[in-house]
Amino acid sequence: MDRRQFLRGMGFLSAATALSQLSIVNAQADASDDYKALVCVFLFGGNDGNNMIVPVDARYDSYAALRGSLALASDKLVQLPDVNGATEYGMHSALSGLKGAWNNGHLAVLLNSGPLVRPITRAEVLANIARPFELFSHSGQQRTWQVAAKTSEARGWGGRIADEVNSMNAGATTPTSIAIAGASAFSVANSGALVLPTSGGLNLRGTDSSAASRARAAALDQMLATDKNFELVSAAQEVTAGSLQRRAAVNGIVNTTSTTVKSAFAGLSSTVAKQMQTIAKLVEGHQELGVRRQVFFVGLGGFDTHSGQLSTQNTLLGQLGGAVKAFYDATVAMGMADKVTTFTLSDFARTMRANSVGGTDHAWGNHHLIVGGAVRGKAFYGEYPQLIAGGPDDAGSDGRWIPTTSVDQYAATLARWFGVADERLEALFPLMKNFAARDLGFF
Amino acid sequence: MPAELSKVMSLGIVDYLEDQFTKPKTGYTGFRRYQNLAPDDCRTLVNDPTSPSSLCARDNYTLFEMQRQFFANAMNGEDQLRQRMAFALSQIFVISGTEIKNAYAMSTYQNMLLDDAFGNFRDVMEHVTLHPAMGIYLDMLNNDKANPLKGTKPNENYAREFMQLFTIGTEQLNLDGTPRLDADGEPLATYTQQDVEALARVFTGWTYSVWPGQTSKWTNAPKLHGQLAAVDSHHDTDPKLFLGASLPGGQTAVADMNLALDVIFTHPNVGPFIATRLIQSFVTSNPSPAYVARVARVFNNNGMGVRGDLQAVLRAIFFDAEARGQKSDSAYGKLKEPALFMTGFLRALGGTSDGVFLRAQSAAMGQDIFTAPSVFNYYSPTHRIGDGTLKGPEFQIFNGVTTLARIDFVYQIVYGDGAAADKTVVNSTGTSLSFADAATVYANAQVASELDARMMYGKLSDASYKSVTDALAALAPDDIEGRARAAAYVLGVSAQYQVQR
Repeated sequence: MDRRQFLRGMGFLSAATALSQLSIVNAQADASDDYKALVCVFLFGGNDGNNMIVPVDARYDSYAALRGSLALASDKLVQLPDVNGATEYGMHSALSGLKGAWNNGHLAVLLNSGPLVRPITRAEVLANIARPFELFSHSGQQRTWQVAAKTSEARGWGGRIADEVNSMNAGATTPTSIAIAGASAFSVANSGALVLPTSGGLNLRGTDSSAASRARAAALDQMLATDKNFELVSAAQEVTAGSLQRRAAVNGIVNTTSTTVKSAFAGLSSTVAKQMQTIAKLVEGHQELGVRRQVFFVGLGGFDTHSGQLSTQNTLLGQLGGAVKAFYDATVAMGMADKVTTFTLSDFARTMRANSVGGTDHAWGNHHLIVGGAVRGKAFYGEYPQLIAGGPDDAGSDGRWIPTTSVDQYAATLARWFGVADERLEALFPLMKNFAARDLGFF
Repeated sequence: MPAELSKVMSLGIVDYLEDQFTKPKTGYTGFRRYQNLAPDDCRTLVNDPTSPSSLCARDNYTLFEMQRQFFANAMNGEDQLRQRMAFALSQIFVISGTEIKNAYAMSTYQNMLLDDAFGNFRDVMEHVTLHPAMGIYLDMLNNDKANPLKGTKPNENYAREFMQLFTIGTEQLNLDGTPRLDADGEPLATYTQQDVEALARVFTGWTYSVWPGQTSKWTNAPKLHGQLAAVDSHHDTDPKLFLGASLPGGQTAVADMNLALDVIFTHPNVGPFIATRLIQSFVTSNPSPAYVARVARVFNNNGMGVRGDLQAVLRAIFFDAEARGQKSDSAYGKLKEPALFMTGFLRALGGTSDGVFLRAQSAAMGQDIFTAPSVFNYYSPTHRIGDGTLKGPEFQIFNGVTTLARIDFVYQIVYGDGAAADKTVVNSTGTSLSFADAATVYANAQVASELDARMMYGKLSDASYKSVTDALAALAPDDIEGRARAAAYVLGVSAQYQVQR
């Protein structure tokens, strides 16, 4: 139970006053540690959300008919009874590790969201009106999900909200935006973004206290400060200098072995689990790093299942479920579950209709998971599409669902929780003005 | 002076290029395990990793030996331009060891790109389309026409990526590579989802070619060489509308494919699209529109009415004033990708390698050879750096982790004795760079200026030159070897060297 639920439950506060009172309670509880972290898990290739969240009510037959050989048996799904006691959907069994978070009310599902310029009908889609940028293309849709702005925008939306709150991290030894094992557009920020390895620290050989070593280091420092007029040289120097400067601070955190984090991740060997373990260490060590806000990015690839989807997605969702469960458990054990929100993004969903080799193609609106102690979970947000190929919710004839919630609304809801002021949302997400709901309500 | 550089200087760049066009390929050899999956006598034994069975598995069912040969060829091959061009093509027409772990399949594919490196682009398009490894990787293999009874549809994977990544891209281009815009200033799309679905139907009905003595059927047994074969009963023979062209009904899979490839090959985007990628691979990340237009014009017509002549395109790229000129533009140049950074460093200083060490180092730097994370390669040609005004594709794999891997590589070569020979690799020599004869090589103790010439074409700025000589000042004047090592290290780890200008 989080603090807000606790206060409501005790009858001390009405729901209307809960929010304003909460900040006072927070301040009194721990003035030194107003900390929040957002953790984006990007499912590269386009996760088939249609098999991640499946209707188990009367709609199941339509689902099974459309999916053909890819239909998951209804009795194999993890049932997801919601807060009202209704069970409309089940979850892929490979994600069964997240059942605990669901039961705790800390896992929510956002239905059928995707890139939109504004709310749109099938007729408009077919007439090519208000069409989003590069639909159905990996690169175009990854960019929209990670940047949520025009093509001229250099920063990702993770980077933009990192910049918004960056003043809260004054004096920090690491940037607000951190990506694990590779840079993505999501993380790009004016305040800088740091890439860290899957596990272990920023290691460098040949750095000792010998005179020769110190002379080399001094020469490297000098080389990093010259020829700045060449833009590509300067850009490379920035990356190198940033890494060298932050090595000590980062290594102090990620090379320590906290029992809390270690035991939560025990037995997990997937790359994404190792990466989320690194994030858990950075969350745990945030005071040492001097940060009160952090935006993390981690990617899991292989979801582009044009063939053999059933087994591939089963493996990948198993890795995802294991890693997210361990990370959630670690934040619970740290007493920080309500300060950390983990959420998924992906290129797109996949066609309902399969091909002859058990695969699917690039689609559009997708279902996503949001996990954390602050999440109003055990609930579904957004609207599930009508399962009719060529029907009102299909962008074509193969079950490419037209989203009913935009990426911008999803991102803005996360940003608001993170501490971005409401009046800044339209500046950060230029298309927000085209949508009625500015907050999807999952916090 | 390195031998290759001497050759360029004695022949001149024009004759050097023509000479390179005639050099036969240094290809990938020795892969004889045709089976798609490892047989029982060729399995990795965890407890006995150097047993013949484990080595057979390593060399044939992982890309270890392919990657090793890639670096050995890059270090030692006389066909340097062919190697570079095939490598550039392999980063456009990507297949990846994430799925293609069979070394034989990868070897026939990469040998094909080496053979086609100086040919015609239309042939590259067709050869790539019909190669079984590409068929596996992007699912054109065994792509069946729609089956209404089963509710299945053709696989769109190859159709989409063939247009988006291999030939025409998502935005309509002017000859100079700039996007054509609509009335609102937004880029015009090159193709629609309907075009993708139509091309997916074109690419139905292909399976492995049949083994001798067997009868071709739907589908044939895996065969990782030769070209895919058509089975017309599984080809969609309805008429198709695609990129404004109309493909008549009732055509064979071969006829449909040929017509569709012709439609794409003659699309006005191909010239500027491929010109931009090749210029970025060889010369600079941010070519001027005029440079792109000059190369695209040659792609469109080599002067003798031939479209897609890759030798003519390479001449246009290398002889252009923007490649040969003063390069004073502050945005000029490109970050060297890991493979070029390492082989360039070793070749400039007279190092040697059998490729074993380099393949692992390259992976640590974000470029696991022939194993890009996806068909989108290691990096995007439009990856942006700084405030977003400049492109820097290779920067996508240059980050806080990989920059340290580059520094570690230089340290290991210069101060760590490189890498010893690998007992599990035939004729392994290891990777090394000797400074033993530094006193002879760097005559008159001109260490800094000699390394400036070898690594920076003598263009190191005064300020950076001073950084190098400052580092050398910590060493005794007669310690030529020590000074040569120190200078090689400082230059090798510098952004000034790692960015080619």
